[in-house]
Amino acid sequence: MTELQKEPIRKSERSAYAEEVRYALSLLTKNKLVLTGLLMSAFFVAVALLSSLIVPSSAANTFNFSIAYCWSNPYFNWGVQSNPCPAGTNFPIGTDGYGRDLLSMIILAIPLDLQIALTIVLSAAAIGIVVGAVAGYVGGWIDEIILRVTDIFFAFPFFILALVFAAILGRTIQNLELAVLLVWWPLYVRLIRGQVLSEKGKAYVEALRALGVGKFRILFFHLIPNSIYPLLVQATLDIGGVILVFSSLVFLGFSPTPALPELGNLAADGIEKIFTAPWLLVIPGLVILLISLSFNLVGDGLRDVLDPRLRR
Amino acid sequence: MRMYEYVIRRLILSILVLFGVSVITFYLARGFPGAISPWSSYINSRMTAQQIQMVIHEHGFDQPLYIQYFYWLRDVFDGNWGQAGQWANGLPVYQVFMSRFPNTVELALVGVVLTVAVGLPLGIVSAVRNNKPVDHASRVFSLTGISTPTYWFGFLLQLVFFYYFFIWRLPYLPNRGVVSDSLQGAVTAFTGIPILDGLLNGNLNYFFDAVSHVILPAITLSFTSLGALTRLVRASMLEVLRQDYITLARSKGLLERVVIFRHALRNALIPALTVSGLLFAGLLGGAVVVEYVFSWPGVGWVSLQAVFQGDSNFLMLYSLVTAAIIVFANLLVDILYAAVDPRIKY
Repeated sequence: MTELQKEPIRKSERSAYAEEVRYALSLLTKNKLVLTGLLMSAFFVAVALLSSLIVPSSAANTFNFSIAYCWSNPYFNWGVQSNPCPAGTNFPIGTDGYGRDLLSMIILAIPLDLQIALTIVLSAAAIGIVVGAVAGYVGGWIDEIILRVTDIFFAFPFFILALVFAAILGRTIQNLELAVLLVWWPLYVRLIRGQVLSEKGKAYVEALRALGVGKFRILFFHLIPNSIYPLLVQATLDIGGVILVFSSLVFLGFSPTPALPELGNLAADGIEKIFTAPWLLVIPGLVILLISLSFNLVGDGLRDVLDPRLRR
Repeated sequence: MRMYEYVIRRLILSILVLFGVSVITFYLARGFPGAISPWSSYINSRMTAQQIQMVIHEHGFDQPLYIQYFYWLRDVFDGNWGQAGQWANGLPVYQVFMSRFPNTVELALVGVVLTVAVGLPLGIVSAVRNNKPVDHASRVFSLTGISTPTYWFGFLLQLVFFYYFFIWRLPYLPNRGVVSDSLQGAVTAFTGIPILDGLLNGNLNYFFDAVSHVILPAITLSFTSLGALTRLVRASMLEVLRQDYITLARSKGLLERVVIFRHALRNALIPALTVSGLLFAGLLGGAVVVEYVFSWPGVGWVSLQAVFQGDSNFLMLYSLVTAAIIVFANLLVDILYAAVDPRIKY
């Protein structure tokens, strides 16, 4: 009898789960804005993956100052050392200050920026999961200490702290990533801690404990997986935020090398030429905006879908 | 726990947090002489190597870090907080900070007023017209604001409203500073805040000049920060609109306008007020990027210079003051919550 009953129940459970996923997907794609965000981020990821096929990476190191000295620039300014070419037949959106095709540089920069953002967000989430789960689950003085440390980080002027870390660590991409990570992890610790705390009090945890399931197992196989949705939303939103912060650091002068094809650095090149060659700053900045916006649209949509109060 | 016990506990914790901030900043600013040389403020190019060694010894820079901390504390109790480097003419750090702080207050005030003036109605409308075109437009607007690189938007505004307006012979807006150079020091500085000083002196010329200077930076600041407020107002408004007492108000036959403004809005406003208050507190620490883009002589820009100059004394004062503002703003908000809302007990 029990053997007979087992199968259908499992099946219906599985199909209920599939139903749930299908419903979530339909909610996501029904919303035109979220769909736009999904398509946009898919586009940027595709560009990032294919960039080495579209543009040879040596293009970043091929400076051409004879092109840079571009007489056809309508904003040509006597006395200015080099003037980038405006959009034309050879260069779809003009050249940058080093005489490189700006479109190629942007295509080279997109994988770099996405990779940086992913590294930072995933590392911050990993730290957050471990430290936050321990704080929330173990509690007591360990929780108190972790909370106070995150308090200190939240009290800091966040951007200046990142700048100081960047100044101390020195100018390489890894160090800049580390600088952003150092100010970003406390957010995830707080998020996961709160989730674990609220899950901890629920009946199923009590049941698991009664069944004799180990503490470690409860934490890593039940509490953390059940707290993962808000983390997913936060991580998606943060990919946009991290790109902004990282590119701002580079923009303010922490570029590892002056000619590095990174979106913030490309934009920073345009500061001095903002009135003579506005595309230098406007176009890379616009690309940052679009990347960040696409992930924010997806994250915002995810939040709505995963929020049980807003459903059905 | 009684209310005053809670407040005392929080105060003690706040002081601990501030101590932590000072220790971390001290370690970062003094522990890496290769990146930030702490004695650079006290030396100049005319000194001999021997004199430099004397300066280093006199200010305790050759001592272990924890002893240097006490040297720093002595400077704090002097009221000078140490000396700033040549980039700030070697003035006492406290003086450098205080001379820039009013400018930051002005930008933060105008920025927050703009943010609330736009973000609040937008959030309300998009909650009331949930999933209607207005809601979608507001979502795109606020998410675009969140996703916009501040520096990019600032320079874009400069390009259009300063450069192109100038070329097109339209009344253009200034792109740098708090007042025009010609009006610098034209009024008695009662508060140090240019707009207020213009009013207090009855100098309308100065007042309008200061206002025209603050417009572009304030727009940049609020466009990039109003997204969070809008989304929050929308969420809390939606939450309130789902409550039973709203259904009751509607079933009593009240006008929709009355239901929304009298019954729903008041309860939805509390989180919005909190966020704007904390936003203001955060902005008092200076909006580094905006101040940099608009050459706004506030504490954010000056701290950026301090980072690049490796001025450890200034970084200490700056991080402590801004951290104190944030910590006490949070404390104030929590206490106000308890005072306003009888359901909250500590």
